[in-house]
Amino acid sequence: MSCPAPRSIDEYLRQLRAVLADEDPALIQDALYDAEEYLRAEVAAHPDKSEADVLELIASTYGAPDEVAAAYRETEIQVKAALRSPVRPQTASPGALTRFFAVYSDPRAYTSLFFMLLTLATGVIYFTFAVTGLALSAGLSILIIGLPLFLVFIGMTRVIALGEGRLLEAVTGERMPRRPVHPGAPTSFWARIVAMITDPRTWTTLAYFLLMLPLGVTYFVMAVVGLSLGLSLLAVPFIAVADHFGAFESWHHIQPGPPDLGPDFLNGPVGYALCGVVGVLLLTGLMHLARGVGRVHARVAKSLLVTHSL
Amino acid sequence: MNDSQARKFQKDLNGGLVALVLLAVLDRTTDDLYGYEIAKRLQKANEGEALFKEGTIYPVLRALSASGYLTSRIVPSYSGPPRRYYRITDEGRALLAQWSGIWRQTRDFVDRFIEGTAP
Repeated sequence: MSCPAPRSIDEYLRQLRAVLADEDPALIQDALYDAEEYLRAEVAAHPDKSEADVLELIASTYGAPDEVAAAYRETEIQVKAALRSPVRPQTASPGALTRFFAVYSDPRAYTSLFFMLLTLATGVIYFTFAVTGLALSAGLSILIIGLPLFLVFIGMTRVIALGEGRLLEAVTGERMPRRPVHPGAPTSFWARIVAMITDPRTWTTLAYFLLMLPLGVTYFVMAVVGLSLGLSLLAVPFIAVADHFGAFESWHHIQPGPPDLGPDFLNGPVGYALCGVVGVLLLTGLMHLARGVGRVHARVAKSLLVTHSL
Repeated sequence: MNDSQARKFQKDLNGGLVALVLLAVLDRTTDDLYGYEIAKRLQKANEGEALFKEGTIYPVLRALSASGYLTSRIVPSYSGPPRRYYRITDEGRALLAQWSGIWRQTRDFVDRFIEGTAP
């Protein structure tokens, strides 16, 4: 091992963080959480020894930071390999058309589209929560209940941020933390409040909640407009065929005649077929868009919700 | 024999065994256990030098839990971060039964050669 043996829990965690520096921030958060649980329990189990004495034996029991880091890396690779659906061997390189329509066989595209529809609801909830929490904490800060309220509010933002991370990992496959960030060694009430206020993640999380309202509205509108326009265009040729065979005979008091597309040159078999093609292209494009939005959104969320400079 | 070779052999052996041992520990107990407690039970059962570092069981516990072989719940703790308590599921028990069979078969097979009782 290159670094000197750690003499305190903080030093151990710092070394572990340094060894894992290139890994996914979510994995780092989980590994630090587990190590801290063990180390603090070990120190608490030996009240007669000093922290430095306990840490001296850690390399032979829990393992040195680089050994522990290696275990996380290996398990992460194994779990990822086990959870990934097997890649079908490709016989020939697929053409552009095949690749364009292959989006329909990607589950991420469907989950991302669902996510785009859901963000209207979550966006409104997060925005309301953030604005209400901030306003109440600021407004009541002159009274004694303002401070506990602020602490509860910040605590809840962390829980919601973790939940949003789990949702995004399910939807987009981007690795997000599975454990919360531990605040560190128990310190005084005031030190914790100061740490909460000075932690940039508190504010980036709140910024994410505020950002989710405009983003949620935009995603929702894109998804709904794309779906309704694409599906109605796709329906035009079918309606025209059905109408040709007299399916709507008895309905003609509602919608007389075949679909009316406006310009005369469109009102014929060619125009109807064209509508169907445009509908299919639009829906496929929407699936690509949804998948892209899911990916980009997960990156943005990760940069705002997950601590990078632990 | 060279020490690093011994360590590498042990590490290769441990690949699946850590998961098997963890499932067995959680199957034998009626209480839910958290990572540190499991690590200490393993340490107590082990004579001489530890076969694997206790830090390596946490990622395996997490992976078993993610695959549905363990369930977990979080309980706040005074000494550090909240503890995650694990309990084996029915799928975990089925997996343990299967793996134990494989383990016995492997052990007997290897022993037959090491003890020299193979034909």
